[in-house]
Amino acid sequence: MRQAHHPGAAVAEWGAVAELCSGVAALAAASVYLLSARRLRHRGDTWPRARDVAFASGCGAMGWAMLTETPGGPFTGHMAQHLIVGMVAPLLLVLARPLTLALRLLPPGRVRRGLLRAAHARPVAVLLSPPVAALVDVGGLWLLYRTGLLAATHQHPVLQVVTHLHVLAAGLIFTFSVCQLDPVRRRWSLAARGTAVLTVGATHSVLAKGLYGSPPPGTSFATHDLRTGAQLMYYGGDLVEVALAVALAVQWYGARGRAHARRSAPEMWRGPRVGHGREVRGVMSHPPASRGTQRP
Amino acid sequence: MTSPPTGRGPRPEHRRSLAAGLLIGMAVMAAADEIVFHQLLGWHHFYDRSTTGVGLLSDGLLHTAELLALVAGFFLCADLLRHGVLAAAHLRAGVFLGLGVFQVFDGIVDHKVLRVHQIRYGVDVTPYDWAWNLSGLVLLLIGSALTVRAARRDRTGPRR
Repeated sequence: MRQAHHPGAAVAEWGAVAELCSGVAALAAASVYLLSARRLRHRGDTWPRARDVAFASGCGAMGWAMLTETPGGPFTGHMAQHLIVGMVAPLLLVLARPLTLALRLLPPGRVRRGLLRAAHARPVAVLLSPPVAALVDVGGLWLLYRTGLLAATHQHPVLQVVTHLHVLAAGLIFTFSVCQLDPVRRRWSLAARGTAVLTVGATHSVLAKGLYGSPPPGTSFATHDLRTGAQLMYYGGDLVEVALAVALAVQWYGARGRAHARRSAPEMWRGPRVGHGREVRGVMSHPPASRGTQRP
Repeated sequence: MTSPPTGRGPRPEHRRSLAAGLLIGMAVMAAADEIVFHQLLGWHHFYDRSTTGVGLLSDGLLHTAELLALVAGFFLCADLLRHGVLAAAHLRAGVFLGLGVFQVFDGIVDHKVLRVHQIRYGVDVTPYDWAWNLSGLVLLLIGSALTVRAARRDRTGPRR
């Protein structure tokens, strides 16, 4: 709890504990990830370094946002913190594919089976569907800024911690469902995921513009602070939305490239080397002596 | 494999090139609006309180759609380019069309119908509105002319 205008002793104490816990959690998560990736590489697997960098910077950003005083007035500071905890850090963490890493590293057994079962459970699939994830993300934001919730968090430190956790969780769920990099139960089309980004982005900017005009109910921030915070929310949100769009576009680009390669493969291999690419399926229906010989 | 290649190389994809240009053009004009008029000149206001709820919502949707369009346009372009099927004339026509479409839409729907914000505050806005919409119209006309020319050119000569 770092808002300057409600300096209660209990609140400050709670805030210090929560800050410390989040810092330790971020550090622990980063260490576990980096050590796991190292073990994977020692084993001979490839695991791109960029993912290590993404995960470590995600944890670093989170720790920074929770532990240090963000610049600007109280509302601007709050907004900077929320941008990092709810949007930037989740994107960096999700891009690092933590679930894939865990599944690769865990030995076959109870833990791995449990993780897989959890990842493929029906309730999880519902939560990770883009419409539901978008609703969770946007609904939480709406409650925070358009009801008395933000004012209430200034009085009740527990609520403050719960809000932070919700912002982080909602951001993770939304980013996870949109990027869809880790193996989950159901794959969603690019159109569905793009629509989710569009909806959430639009709501985010509507909320930001609304905040510019009128503060969250029950709070009294200085006008300049409020407006700076609202613009930070608007343009900061833009940056993360573009990053999400690029993540989706990279997937599309890769998929198109592979599809193109598949389509043109049979033509390229036409000639002496029959039985490659798409024709592999036909091998079973033909007598093996007629073609199988030239296959490697 | 719908068209067995008789000429050299794959056929340029005209419609996709035009679409990529359109997306990029609209997004670039939106970005220019945001950077020049909102940030550098400070003429447009981030939010003036006369905006209706519908105006705010449409503005939010449009704004996010532009961001997505910019990314989509560039990746579409890159995809066409790597397969050697980018039609440059159609792309150019699409960009101008997109620039014009956004400018006219912003000038008429956003500024006048939904009243999201005005071009400039504290002055008579009429000449600004005329200049804004006419420049949009000019861009739109250039785009249309280029589209027609590109379409005619590839009907008469298969080269390019």
